[in-house]
Amino acid sequence: MNPPASPEIGSQLITLMAALMLVVQLLLAVQPMLFTSVRLYAIQSLFLAGIAGVVAFFDHAGDVYVVAALTVIGKVIFLPWLLNRQLRHIKITQEIEPLLNPTATMMVCGGLVLLGYLVARPFTSLERLGNNTLGIAITLELTGFFLMINRRKAISQVLALLTMENGVMLAAIALTTYGMPLVVEFGIFFDVLVAVMILGILIYRIRETFASMDTGKLNQLKE
Amino acid sequence: MTLILLLLIPACAGLLCLVARSRESWEHLNLLAFAALVPLALKIVSDVLAQGTVSAFEGFFRADALSALVIVITTFVALACAIYSVGYFRADARANKITEAQLRRYYALTPLFVAVMLLVPLADNLGVMWVAIESGTLASVLLVAFYNQKTSIEAAWKYIIIGSIGISLALFGTIFTYYSAVNVLGAGTQHGMNWSVLAGIADKFDPKAMRLAFILVLLGYGTKAGLAPMHTWKPDAYSEAPVPTAALLGTAFVNCAIYGIARFDVLAVKCLGPEFPGRLLAGFGVASILVAAPFILTQRNFRRILAYSSIDHAGIMVAALGFGGKLGALGAALHMLFHGVTKPLMFFCAGNVQQHFGTPYFRRVRGVIHILPWTGGFFLMATLAVTGTPPFSIFQSEFITLSAALAAHHAWLAFLFIAGAAAIFVGFLVHMVKMNLGKPRPDQLKGSAVQRIKECPWKLGAMVMVATSVVALAFWLPQPLYQLVQQAAQIIGGAQ
Repeated sequence: MNPPASPEIGSQLITLMAALMLVVQLLLAVQPMLFTSVRLYAIQSLFLAGIAGVVAFFDHAGDVYVVAALTVIGKVIFLPWLLNRQLRHIKITQEIEPLLNPTATMMVCGGLVLLGYLVARPFTSLERLGNNTLGIAITLELTGFFLMINRRKAISQVLALLTMENGVMLAAIALTTYGMPLVVEFGIFFDVLVAVMILGILIYRIRETFASMDTGKLNQLKE
Repeated sequence: MTLILLLLIPACAGLLCLVARSRESWEHLNLLAFAALVPLALKIVSDVLAQGTVSAFEGFFRADALSALVIVITTFVALACAIYSVGYFRADARANKITEAQLRRYYALTPLFVAVMLLVPLADNLGVMWVAIESGTLASVLLVAFYNQKTSIEAAWKYIIIGSIGISLALFGTIFTYYSAVNVLGAGTQHGMNWSVLAGIADKFDPKAMRLAFILVLLGYGTKAGLAPMHTWKPDAYSEAPVPTAALLGTAFVNCAIYGIARFDVLAVKCLGPEFPGRLLAGFGVASILVAAPFILTQRNFRRILAYSSIDHAGIMVAALGFGGKLGALGAALHMLFHGVTKPLMFFCAGNVQQHFGTPYFRRVRGVIHILPWTGGFFLMATLAVTGTPPFSIFQSEFITLSAALAAHHAWLAFLFIAGAAAIFVGFLVHMVKMNLGKPRPDQLKGSAVQRIKECPWKLGAMVMVATSVVALAFWLPQPLYQLVQQAAQIIGGAQ
């Protein structure tokens, strides 16, 4: 029998997929169509599931397969389906009016990538699998936060939130040996689903009462 | 068993409310469930005092003195709010402000909200605790959006978006904590996220990772507690939510967030020494007090002023944790208790005034005490109690916190703390005295006589229940409760 694939390959695969997650995030930051954004989110989640699968395979950690499966079912299939349905329902497909133009957005994101890697640097020696995954995880969190500020359509803010969550889950896979205890994974998964549903209800009500999905119009409450 | 019942009863009551049809049955289900929680909570207290810790499901649920303290406060507030909400929503229904469907949503979501708030102190696993706090936010978002006004939807949107950013930082921090422990734990990851396990080995953690973890957790749970500068959602959410929900958010849920910070503080102090976490906590705490003060001084809206007061009190609790030492831990534990018992009275009185006068603005309301004598009287008493005037109990916990600051040689922070507290006292007093004691406006007069209103027995009952506890605690802290607070303070202080 052939010896099992060397951990070296696993490490390279993880690095590759984590880098692709970052590429998708940058595309998401500059591209304007909402349907495409949802699709990009699904692709990013697919890479996340792939990383979980590779970790499970090379670490022989059965639990992590479950995490990979949950990610595929929830974030690659269910949530994008839910968001697409909502987009069709509220009939908004047009591009978003960001505060910064694409060039400036890209510049800011580039700066955030540098920052993410700087923050992660003291810890890179401690990662087990793959290089730079922690840096990418922190970058996803930072760019997600920036997207949230930059975008004004309610649904893009939800997408930004979801990419931040992808970043956190990437960190969880990159940093911990066998992932977190399963009960916690289930809990987080459940919370994310419920959060998106509640955000959906709110978006629907914003649309009903304000006749718009622009969160810039949510400006009545102030001192 | 007690631990599981404590979670099951409110969860079942919430689900039953989805099925039940009449308003009476929803009210009864809520009242019964919350009344049943109080003896259960007391049972847990007596068990904890006798045995130290109680656990269930092989340690998945675990309660020590600190958990028991949080549980007792939560059940007390939940019961008071359940009694109050009967009267509050009947008045809303009479005024045709709400529909049956909305009412059902309130009565179904509130017990679920309380159930997850009780899960927070019961979960030994820090990841599960995170899930519970996030679920608490999710359960309360639709309650904040309850009235379906433009403003309430705006408040709910801000609440969930800012809260979700915060909570994702807290998850990041939790993962970093877990990671800093993984090398010590080895393969035994099944219980690797349990606080009771981590607290025993925290001194061997990787300090670099723990430092980052503590910052992230403080930012994350600090957002939930409403520490400055992450507090911006709070005035909107508290003023738009129905009053009983605001009261639950402003006391029980704030305690949950502070509880989370306290658990991580214990780990951080053990790993890094008291200096680094202490400075961060004291800084955020005092900053929150100072941010709240000017908004209270210039406030025009008596619902929003309560939110700023809650920011102030969350700041005091976190500052007490930061000053550290025996005094600081005791101050934090006492303040959790006293604030939790006192604050609901403020919310209830504000709710009565808003329902009667139909406005949340100070300038449109005068002479409450002549029109609603009970509400007016309680409002003034609650104002004095909340701002920490002696003999009320909050004075004691604030004084202990101040002593902790001086004992830790934080003279400047102590000075700022006093300045903030004094400004808040003045602000509250000016607004509340004018509103409660002034001359009633002409539209409230019938001829030349003041029109006195008979107060709703449900709302009055809830207020009397809370007010009695406030007065009682001012002069007498029952022995078991005192022991509980002391043991909780020892846990915050790092004792196993």
